[in-house]
Amino acid sequence: MHDETDETIIRIAAALRPLPEVDPAQKARVLVAVAAERERARERRRRVVQIWRVAGGATLLAAAGLVVAVSLRLPPAREGGKASTPTVVAPAAGARAPATLGATLAGEARTAGFKTVQVVFRAPAARRVSVVGDFNAWDTGSDAMSQDPVTGLWSHTLVVRPGRHVYAFVVDDSLWMRDPRSPAAPDADFGRPGSVLLVGQP
Amino acid sequence: MSKPRPLQLVKPAPLSDAPDPGSGAARSLLVKAAQRGDVRAFAELVDAYYARCLRFAMHMLANRGDAEEAVQDTFVRVYRALPGYEERESFEPWLFRILANRCRSAGARERRRSEFVEFGEVPERVTGHRHDETFAWREEISRALLALPAEQREAFLMRHVEDLTYDDMAIATGAGISALKMRVKRACDALKIRLTEDRGARRD
Repeated sequence: MHDETDETIIRIAAALRPLPEVDPAQKARVLVAVAAERERARERRRRVVQIWRVAGGATLLAAAGLVVAVSLRLPPAREGGKASTPTVVAPAAGARAPATLGATLAGEARTAGFKTVQVVFRAPAARRVSVVGDFNAWDTGSDAMSQDPVTGLWSHTLVVRPGRHVYAFVVDDSLWMRDPRSPAAPDADFGRPGSVLLVGQP
Repeated sequence: MSKPRPLQLVKPAPLSDAPDPGSGAARSLLVKAAQRGDVRAFAELVDAYYARCLRFAMHMLANRGDAEEAVQDTFVRVYRALPGYEERESFEPWLFRILANRCRSAGARERRRSEFVEFGEVPERVTGHRHDETFAWREEISRALLALPAEQREAFLMRHVEDLTYDDMAIATGAGISALKMRVKRACDALKIRLTEDRGARRD
């Protein structure tokens, strides 16, 4: 019954054994998917606890969607310090690295219960940039940023509850970077770097 | 408050501090840490097992995209199921149980998509320009493997490529040990016949 010693089988097994080349972007996507799963689980728990808030929240979210960020200020980049060197976690073959990186929180607008926060990211060579964070279940499809054709800056207005949020940028679906101008999150997801966003009470 | 108040900068601990997932003891520590919600430990587990899972899925599904999807799905399910994982089980057969399930579902989807492909006919893959002996041999093996019934292919790969014991394979597949031995034997016989025939045919 045992074919273990059969020479042909040993040769067949040897040919099947080499490990395939791993695409780092695919591996990064696994962690993004797992982070999203964790966030969904958390969200389910939150919903059970705070079910009474849901109806009110939906109305507020609709109202918040109408609010446009009032100002776009770009403070000069802070030079030096660890924060100015973003960590590239999953360098994907073929993904163009952004020429210069830098991002800033530019404006906060006030709405009832929610706040809008303008997030800006510098990556002129990127094809797609999105913001992921606890507020959108780390979903790369939720908050796509748009690029200014003149400056090359990517920006997006987030609508978030006041409080502490952890977020990051996903460049070309493969590079996960934290915001170099905001404090690094000590509880970064799955070893991916994240940044902390503090949004004041409305 | 117009600007975020900076919190202290916390440098993430280097990943190399994590235990080497190579040894069984280190691996079970890693699994335990992941179970407690240590996300870094989970990322380490993905690192340690991704390539092996992808190898298995690629041999099962013969399509890289489907295989990558099945592996991603596997890790999401592993994460979801981790709280229910019991320490007396070993991690590998448990992981392979989830992976084999994902491959079976993906395989079933694929069969529905390509119902017209005649049974037993395996589409030739685009192989580029390399045609040396080793490469041709590998291609022949992949084709022979794909011609096997899925449960034989699965059993063969677990036994001879992933080096699982029959006990572990029983956990991973839910099948009995004698049934698994039979599957492996049938797979070996079919592979030997097919590969020796192919070689003979090529020399003619």
